[in-house]
Amino acid sequence: MMSIPFFLFAGALAAVFIGKRNIAIGLWALSVVVMLVLFRLHATDQLNIGL
Amino acid sequence: MTQILAMRLNALGLLAISIVLLFAFSDQLIYGDLPCPLCILQRAGLIAAGFGLALNMRFGPRPSHYGLMIIGALAAGIVARRQVLLHIVPGTGSYGDMFFGLHFYTWMVIVSTLIILGTAGMLLFDRQFADDHEERPLAGWMLASFALFGFLALANGVSTVLECAGGLCPDNPTGYLLLQ
Repeated sequence: MMSIPFFLFAGALAAVFIGKRNIAIGLWALSVVVMLVLFRLHATDQLNIGL
Repeated sequence: MTQILAMRLNALGLLAISIVLLFAFSDQLIYGDLPCPLCILQRAGLIAAGFGLALNMRFGPRPSHYGLMIIGALAAGIVARRQVLLHIVPGTGSYGDMFFGLHFYTWMVIVSTLIILGTAGMLLFDRQFADDHEERPLAGWMLASFALFGFLALANGVSTVLECAGGLCPDNPTGYLLLQ
């Protein structure tokens, strides 16, 4: 599951290479969303710091 | 700054990001320092930032491409800052090797900040946006820079599949799940 952003980024770069800008940006946006969801799933411990 | 100079600088930036990714990869492959889940997400954020450079190289510089770079660098920086805060209290441990006295996640805070600073610097030069936005096929060393970056994105995906299989990665990985 954590490899999904990398494969989406690779797909986005392939779209850049063949000149499909909108598809590339769409895939990039999707990968960033997946990345942030994965971050949310992993950032579960409470930080032991005072802010 | 002309459009072509901006594109060359973008290609150099992409090469610099690829070198950071290569460094992390070599540490993983040579010294067996497996990336933790947050480390993997920081690599993904770095690739998200580099994507804006790749767009500039292929379609010409645009403010929107630089915007994507800033978003990617912010994402990488947020994950790195979380990891720094996890270990910032002395005695709470650390993860991975050090480089020049700092852990990799601390370096990522610095690198992501430098990317944002560099992007802001590039945005100061308006003339690069004045030229026609013609698509330019990649060639020569710029194509090599693009290909290396694409290869590293794909290689990180394969490495993550080997390390974590199909699910979430363990917090403290001890081996490649698919190779055990």
